[in-house]
Formats: sequence, structure tokens, C-alpha cells
Amino acid sequence: MIRSLAAGSLLFPGIVAQLLAQEASFDPDSVAPKKPPFPAKAKRVIFLYMTGGVSHVDSFDPKPRLLQDGGKPVNDHPGAAKFLPPQWEFKPGGTCGTPVSDLFPNVRDCMDDICLIRSMRGDHQDHFQATLGIHTGSVTVARPSIGSWVSYGLGTENQNLPSFVVLAPQLPYAGSQVWSSDFLPGVHQGVRVQAGAEPIPNLNRRSASPAVQEMELGLLGNFNRKHLQEHPADPSLVARIKSWETAFGMQMAMPEALDLAKETDATLDIYGLERGSSKGFGWQCLVARRLIERGVRFIELIDVGSANNWDAHSDMATHLPLAKNVDKPIAGLLRDLKSRGLLDDTLVVWTTEFGRSPETDGPKGRSHHNRAFSSWLAGGGVKGGIAYGQTDDYGREIAENPVHVHDLHATILHLLGFDHEKLTFRHGGRDFRLTDVSGQVVKAVLA
Amino acid sequence: MPFSCPHPVVALCAGIAAFTLGELRAATPPEASSSEGIEFFEKKIRPVLTEQCLKCHGGDSEKVKGGLRLDTRANILKGGETGPAAVVGDVQKSLLIEAVRYGDEDLQMPPKHRLDPSQVADLEQWVVMGLPDPRTSAAAPAVKPSASNIVAGKDFWSMRPARAVAPPSISNPWAWSEVDRFVLAKLDEKSLKPNPDASKRDLLRRATFDLTGLPPTSEEMDAFLSDDSPAAFTNVVDRLLASTRYGEQWGRHWLDVVRYADTSGCNSDFPIPTASRYRDYVVAAFNKDKPFDAFVREQIAGDLLPAANDAERFEHIIATGYLAISRRFGSRNNEFHLTIDDTIDNVGKAMLGLSVGCARCHDHKFDPILAKDYYALYGIFASTRYAFPGTEIYRHTKDFVPLAPKEIADQFLTRASELAGLDDKIESLKGQKTRAEREEQRLAKLPQTDPESPAFVGPPAKEAPKQKTGAECQAEIAAAYARQKELEAQQGSVDKAYAVSEGTAHDAKIQKKGDPGALGEEAPRAFLTVLGGATLPPEEHGSGRLELAEWIADSQNPLTARVMVNRIWQHHFGKGIVKTPNDFGTRGERPTDPELLDWLAVRFVSSGWSVKAIHRLILLSHAYRISSEENPAAAAADSNNDFLWRFNRRRLSAEEIRDAMLFTSGALDESAAGPHPFPPEAEWHYTQHKPFIADYPTNKRSIYLLQQRIRKQPYLDIFDGADTNATTGVRPLSTTPTQALFFLNSDFTHDQAHKLAARAESAGDGDAPRIDMVYRIVLGRSASPEEQTAVGQYLARVTIALQEAGSPSESLRRDAFASFCRMLYSSNEFLFVE
Repeated sequence: MIRSLAAGSLLFPGIVAQLLAQEASFDPDSVAPKKPPFPAKAKRVIFLYMTGGVSHVDSFDPKPRLLQDGGKPVNDHPGAAKFLPPQWEFKPGGTCGTPVSDLFPNVRDCMDDICLIRSMRGDHQDHFQATLGIHTGSVTVARPSIGSWVSYGLGTENQNLPSFVVLAPQLPYAGSQVWSSDFLPGVHQGVRVQAGAEPIPNLNRRSASPAVQEMELGLLGNFNRKHLQEHPADPSLVARIKSWETAFGMQMAMPEALDLAKETDATLDIYGLERGSSKGFGWQCLVARRLIERGVRFIELIDVGSANNWDAHSDMATHLPLAKNVDKPIAGLLRDLKSRGLLDDTLVVWTTEFGRSPETDGPKGRSHHNRAFSSWLAGGGVKGGIAYGQTDDYGREIAENPVHVHDLHATILHLLGFDHEKLTFRHGGRDFRLTDVSGQVVKAVLA
Repeated sequence: MPFSCPHPVVALCAGIAAFTLGELRAATPPEASSSEGIEFFEKKIRPVLTEQCLKCHGGDSEKVKGGLRLDTRANILKGGETGPAAVVGDVQKSLLIEAVRYGDEDLQMPPKHRLDPSQVADLEQWVVMGLPDPRTSAAAPAVKPSASNIVAGKDFWSMRPARAVAPPSISNPWAWSEVDRFVLAKLDEKSLKPNPDASKRDLLRRATFDLTGLPPTSEEMDAFLSDDSPAAFTNVVDRLLASTRYGEQWGRHWLDVVRYADTSGCNSDFPIPTASRYRDYVVAAFNKDKPFDAFVREQIAGDLLPAANDAERFEHIIATGYLAISRRFGSRNNEFHLTIDDTIDNVGKAMLGLSVGCARCHDHKFDPILAKDYYALYGIFASTRYAFPGTEIYRHTKDFVPLAPKEIADQFLTRASELAGLDDKIESLKGQKTRAEREEQRLAKLPQTDPESPAFVGPPAKEAPKQKTGAECQAEIAAAYARQKELEAQQGSVDKAYAVSEGTAHDAKIQKKGDPGALGEEAPRAFLTVLGGATLPPEEHGSGRLELAEWIADSQNPLTARVMVNRIWQHHFGKGIVKTPNDFGTRGERPTDPELLDWLAVRFVSSGWSVKAIHRLILLSHAYRISSEENPAAAAADSNNDFLWRFNRRRLSAEEIRDAMLFTSGALDESAAGPHPFPPEAEWHYTQHKPFIADYPTNKRSIYLLQQRIRKQPYLDIFDGADTNATTGVRPLSTTPTQALFFLNSDFTHDQAHKLAARAESAGDGDAPRIDMVYRIVLGRSASPEEQTAVGQYLARVTIALQEAGSPSESLRRDAFASFCRMLYSSNEFLFVE
């Protein structure tokens, strides 16, 4: 089948050679695999994004003083808001003993592999802008997503799957701008994959049978071959001919990647996933591992959408089901990657757009808080079992070693073998980069 | 500061600026940089160098003659192949002087004519003075703008007035038109030859897609092929330019540049039902060939222009939708400085081809644009009232402009201001209510013995100021809501536009590093310094938009006409004479043929800014008619085809692909587009948690698809549609597997293929006439005998395969035929224009 498509190329071996040569050099429009300029500890990324603002003081940043002062007003002003004590108990995890709350008991067991950052900060206190910020480095206008930058820099290993896959059951704040390639070439756009009958738009073969589609592509190959004979030596025509091959491949490669039938009960179990179910974060995490195995470069997992998420203004208890949805699957993913030797060169990032305030907002909830929050890294090139940075007694301000969103981005790119100041794209008369004009690699988290 | 600057290049260019400064210090002796010396240079020397020397001896020169550059003092002292051009203070040893004196036969400059004796004397005096010269290294692109290099900036090619150059004199009969003489002269210069002419079929398909975004019908093709008259193609061009489909194609190009969208871009992406009036205005403006200067004026200041009647007045108001569609931010309305930034960025790039927005945080690092210039424009837009489309927190639309006779419009505005006031009142009452209720709860808990307790019996405490109770607040809130409902019902009956009007006129202060919280000195409203820096007349008490519109649309403005003719050229030849159509600054590309660009710009203005006149100049040239075929020898000399030895093959745009399929399948709906079927405004409760997200299926042309800012229209996204958040000067063209999947598996392609198959049945019973009809409709040519055979065999085989796959027998034949139609739609011959 593929031969009938490739036959066009066989007529013009010179063009194929030219195309291959282009792939060897740095072609911004291509997703052919590329070597980073520096030695890299991580070859791919799984980006776990929790929507709505996870409370750091209830999860990864224990604050005994906040517990003690719970219920007291934050200052002397009449009608001042009151401190809300952490709602879950913290216990040490792993042999490193980093304390994590009962919200994440399973992740807590993995703390020896996790490099926790308790001193994250961002530039905006509202969801839409902060969500754009954590993904694109810009809290105002949309810019290319971090996944698109990585695809642009590294290409991908499997040409039958997109280089940047987004597993998102619902749309996040700021919509699809979150995974947009923006001014980077369109091949680096995040492709949203959803559980269900048609994981990506137009993926399912609509021709009556595989045989019919094969004939159709044969006919198309016939048309294009004739056209190419009349118009030889145009790489854009050849590239388009090749794209049919990739699409045809994707029709099979994507369902195959999403087919969990061959996964053992034991594997399903560590992700907390029931056989046959495609619901919840367990499904997303297991699919992420399968996509990683198949050469996808960057996978983003978004747990829920722009409503009914971690945005616990009135009651922190709403964190509980959301944590339950992700805790076991994330721990399962880390363990599964580790047991397969994949954690060594896969970078796992866990983050949210901002933390939550030490004081109450609604009766038992917390407000947005971008001046301090927690994120973590695990896997390729990262020092496990440490907690970097500190907040003050209430988790309000950063007390030590601040890590701005730009710094996190710079560190991720560093682990992938890039100088974040050099991974640039010329657009509208100037060179743009993920980290805008700032960002410093956080050396202390590097293994 | 809560926001990072959106255009900071500080870190990227600080190093270069420092370098330039150091070099300047080392190379310029103090006496040579005295202010009298510089003044002498500016008055006497710079004009001579610029006009007579720099074309061959400048940093911009294509090939620097004799290795000598006269673009900086350092380069003059360094000299060229024959040694230093000048020796400080020594006229006799300065080759430059020897050359302009015309004494030595082998060294005479400029080569074609002698300078005036006074110019020679000036140059001599300059050498004696020590060559005072403010120009720093031209090799370093980063020159920090300052008062002195604003002067230098005026010398940059795009800032100089377009010259009325005469087309090169060429006797070659290939050159039919003036455009051809320019093109052929360039080709001759490069020893290239233009390709032979394209076939008539390719030419008609090319021109029809270019001008209307649709393929020619088979009838149009037949008529053209059989018309051997010399005027055949001229008639085609005139017919296409007169078609209303022309405005839909070229209006779309403009909407790309102005980042048109039907939603606001705020956190909830509020819908704007009346934005489509601006979209339709653009289409109509192109169709009626509205003079481009008027088009510019109306978009910036239509509401302030005289109008003959209400219809014209409304049209002018709608035109200012250009400003209103600037991006909105946030959940409230407190990030308006970002909206103004978006306006300035767009006015700069769309109309002037300049990245003015870069000067928001600091003087532009590469172009002669000062932060002061940015805030001079900022003041104009800050003095303008933009219609407010509503946000999550302030749900009510505000400041839309009524399209109604004065009396009704006045009532509308009165009600609008009452509505807005009620919004504020409700917000304030809500706060009062919360405080009152909290206080009531506190008092209720007090023991009876407390004098503050409502149950306290005893001498009254001193009279407290009467506060509204929670219940009273609630009652007032309810009344305010009721009044709003009443007013909204009355407002609904008045047509309105998403447009701008005059606000409170004031100058803005410079925002240091783009931070609206860190204000510096005032920047009086004015035009860009490098473009003359005109200021508002003292009698002007308005925003200054009217003057801004004039400054931009002024025929003396060196950029406006150049930028627009370049866009027209770009959409015919696949790329502009300047390949960066939104950047005519130092970071943009230089024109591949500056004389041609100037000639077109001058013609544009002298034709009364007629866009259609420029189309005719281009389309009726010989250069437009050559084939797109490859030629290895020519490609070796000019692989980018910068000099147009062939026509650039191009892929159809997203809109063209969809529209051409709808058109050829017979499904295209060409009835008037009108507004999108948004839900009524009273039902809007959009928040960032539940933003407005919609997709309204339609068979109208793609320019009329709903364009959102929070996400791209899903179909257009697949095929590189324009960015709705920022200006798109050139659409990137990607080749992705998702595009192939769209053809293979989407409902749309399957539907159109089936409709085309049904349409082909009118050709007769046999396969052959039907196949031929489809080829003629889709590709504009008959099927060859080989193609007839191949497709015929395919139909036979696929029919069997379909049958085996269980396709119902009654639709079998059409299904098989539709499968062939879909593959023809997927083919490169359909997707590319030759």
C-alpha cells in the first residue's frame, strides 16, 4: 500500500534525497528528529497540568504556623479575612522524608524520585492569564506553547504520530491557545487527543473498508504522480504527497497507541484504571506512557477543564475528588516509567497555574495566589528526593530561592539540551523565545 | 509589575548597543563630533552622500563597489581596494576629493556626472574639518534611536519619499508594460530569462483564484479558451474585478492584516454580534474600489469625517470598527493599556509597515521610533472611547455607537450611560449590602446590656449616621436590575456599531518599561518623529484621530502607499517586493526591486489610490502571465525566484480550499452573510470558567465563518488560517497529516464529493461524460484518454470493493463516483495554483 504512494518518490529519487538532506539540517517546518545543541539528560516530556490552582499549603508545602493560627484574622483591620488552616495532615514521604499531605498519599510514596519546588511564582493572579503564562511564558498575548517549542527544537521520533500530543478531556482556560504553535510552523501545534470514538478530528477512516481506502489512496497517488512528472523538483508537492503516507499511518498508529487491551491487569491496577474504562487521569497517564514508548516528544495531560476544577474559592473540600482523580495515576505513571527504564530519560513535570491564599475567601475556601506555589519535576536529569525553595510561615511570600515560571521553562529546556536564550524564532522582526527576556536555569535541581 | 512586557528586547540587544557606543568613542575624535561639525555634515554632506554615493558605496548596496563604503566615518577612513578614501585634514591625500574633482581619468566619481563645484567645495571643507559624521557603524543593525539618528533614520530606504522613477528603457518586445520593463531589467541584470507563457488554462485559473478566491467555471474556461481576441484576458480581468466575489477575497486579505475576529479576546471571549458590520464594510470597500486613502481615514477617524447623508455617516462609523476590534483582556476592564497597545501595534504594522509597538517599553532598538512616539500615539487612542463588549465582571455592553438619526441616537446614548451607571451602582450596593449584613449579624449577637445591641434598653447612644440596612440595599439592587431590563429592551430596537467615538482628550504620560504604574514625562499627541513628528493644531480639542488619519493617509507619507502596493503585489506573485509586508524597518527585508516598488507606489497615489488600478497594472503585465515551471539553470542563479523568472506556484489558502469545494459541488450559499446567530445578549453569562465557544455551520464563503479569539475556527486552523489575535502579514503554509486526514475522513469533503457526484450525473449515463465533467469543473480541463481509462477502471474496482464492504446497492454507483471526486479534490493539481 505504502509502496503505491511512495512510487511517486521512486520516480524522483533525487527529490527524496533532497528531502532527506533537508531533514538532516535544521528545518523549522519539519518534525524530523533533531539533535539538541547540548548533551541532554531528558529526551521527552510528560507535562502534568492541574487546572484551576492547586493549594500549595494543603498539598506540598506544610505550614505548621498556618495550622496554629487558623481562624485568626490576618491583620488588625476590622473585617479582616482569617487564616484557614491546612485541611489535610502532612506526613513524610519516601526515605527522603519530604512531607506531603494526605491529599496525595500515593505521590508521597514517590518523593524519592521527585524534585519538589516550593518557591514557584508567576506573573498573574487570574486563571486565563496565568494558564497562558505557565504554558507560553506570556500572560498577555498568546505565544507558542512550551510543547510547540520543544517540537520545534527536537522534532519527534515517530512520524506517524504528532510530535506534541495533548490529552485533555475538556478545554482549559484560554482554550486551545494553551497548546497553540502560534507563530511557530503549524506542524508543531499540539494535537488534542480525547478518549472516545474519534480521538482526534477526522482520524477515523470513513471509507467503507480498508480496501476501499487503499484503492482511493492508490488513485490519488496516480493523480499526484502524473502531476509531479509535469512539475518535477518542487519539494512542497513532494511534502504533500508524503503527508498522505503519514495520515494513513496515523489512522492506525493512533488507535494502536490508545488500545489498552494488551496492558496487563497489574499495569492497569497501578494506574487505578478499570479494564475497558477510558475515564479519568489513569487513562490519560497510561496513554501518556504508551505514547512516550512510541516516540512522541511532548505530552501534556490536563486533568479537568475551566469549570469544576481546583479553583476552591468556597470550600477546600472540593480538592479531594480532584486529588483522588490524579494521585494514584501519577504515582503509577512514575513507577511504571521507572520499572521500564523510561524515567531515566523522560522528564515528568507537575504544575498548576498558581497556588492558593493562606486566608479564607469564601467560608472554607482560598483565593488565587500567584506569589507562591509548588510544582515538581521527576525523571531525566533531575535530582530526586529534594525540596527546593521555601515560602514564609504562611506560604504567602517566597522566603528563599524563588523560581519564576520563566526559570522553570529555562530549566526544562536545559534538561532537553537547549540554552533557552538560543532556542529562538524570528517573527515580526525580532527573535522570540519561550522565556521572553528572562529565565535562569535552576542549577540546584539538576542531578 | 504584574505583567511582563510583551515586546521587550532589552536583553537581546543590550550587548549590541553597548558595542556600538564603544566603537563610536574609539573612532570619533572630539573635534569631529562637535555640534557645528555635525550640523555642517547634516546640511551639506549627508545629502550629497545619500543621493550621489551610497547607492554603490552604502551598507544597503547590493554590491559594494570597489570594497568602499561611505556609510560611516570609520568606513571612509578604512577605505576600499585603493586605500583610505580620506585622510583627516588632508585634502590632497584624500582619494574621495580627487575622485569628485574629476582630475584623474581613471578616478572619476560619481561615474556618470560631475558634482556641482559647490558640492566639491563642501566635501573639501569637510575633510579639512576632520570629517565630522554622526553616523555610527552601519554594519551593526542596532542603532539606538536618538535625535541624531532619527535624522539618519530618515535616510533609510523606506522613510525616503517614493521617487517617480521612469521605467528602464528596454526595447525587448517581451516587455508589454511598464511593470515588465522593471522586471525584465532586473532579470537582464542577473542574466536570467523569463519563463515562457503559461497556458491559457493555467492563466485563467490563476487570475480567477487570485481575484475571487474561486476557480473559473467550465463555461468561463471555454469562453476564454475560444476567445482569440487581443482583449480576451483584459476582459477577464475586468469581469473578475467587477465581481462581488472579488471583495470577499481581497477583503479577507485585509482582515488578516487587521486580525479580525467576531469575539473580544477577553477571558470569556465575549461575542460581538455587530463586529460583522465592519467585516462587511471591508468587503464592500474593496468591491467599490474605495480609494485606499479614504479607506484608511475612515477606519481611523470615520466618525469625525464629513458625510453627505446618514447612510454615509453610518458607513464611516462602522469603519472605525477597525479600532474597536482591538483585543480585549482580562475579566474586568482594567487592562485597557494592553488594548491600546494592540491598536498601536496594528496601526503600525498594517498601515505603516512599522513595529511601533516595540517602542512601548523603550526606544525601538532597531528602528527610528522613540518611546515618546509610542506614547504620542497612545494619547490619541486613550482619548478615544472604544465600544466595550462586556466581560465576565461587567457584563453589559457599553459605548456602542448608534446607527440612527440624531434624536434616536441621543436617546440611545442617554440610556446607555444610565445602564452603565446602574452597573456601577449595583456593584457598590452589593458591597454595602455585605457590610450592612455583617454589621447586623454582629449587633444581633451582642448581649442586651451592650448599648450597641438593638435590644438594649436605656438612654440611646449618640445618634449614629443612618446606614442602609441589608434589606434596603437588596431592594435597591432589585430596582436597579428591573430598570436595566427596561432600558435594555429599549436599546435593543436601535441598530448599533462596534465602533469608537471621541473620549476625553488628553496627552498620555510615558509608561516606563511599559508599566502603566510607572509614569514618566508627558508625550504630547503627535505623529512619529521620523515621519515628520506633526503635532495637533492648537485649535484641536478632540482626540487627534482626525489628524492621525490625515498623517497616515497623506500622499507624502513614504510608507502608506508603498506598504499597500506591496501587499497587492504579494497576493498576486506569492510574495511581496518586500518579503516582510508588515515590516519595512531595518529588521525587515529590503525590496528586491526598490524602483519598481516606488513606481507602483507613485502610480497608486496618482491613480487616486485605486486598488483596482494596481491590480490591472499587475495582471495585464507579461510578468504575470509566465509559467510556473522549474528551470534548473535559472534556479541555480536565483533559487528563491526573487526576480520573477517564473511564476510562483502556490497552495490554495484555507478559505480557497473550502470555498472552491463548495462552489464546484454546487453547495456554496452566496446570499448575504449578515451577523452570526449568536444567542441574545440578555442570555450571556460567559465567564472564564465557561467562556463563549461556538461554531456555526454554514455553506457561506469562509470569510463569513465565525472567528473566535480564544480558539481558532477549527477548519481554518487545519489549513493555516489567519491569526485572530495578532496581524498576519504572510500566512505560513504548513503541510500536516491533519490536513490529509481532513480530506480522507471529514464530513465536509465526503459531503461535497457526494454533491459533486450527483451534479455530474447531469452529464449523461456513462462514466466517461461524468468523469469529464468533474475534471472540467474541478480542474478546469478535460480528462485525458489515459485519465479516462484509469478513472474508469478505478470506478469498476472500487464499486466491487464497496459492494463487498456492504454499501447499499441503490447508492453504489454514486458512492463509487463520489470516492473518485474526493480524491480529485485531494490532488495536488486541485490544491495548487500554477
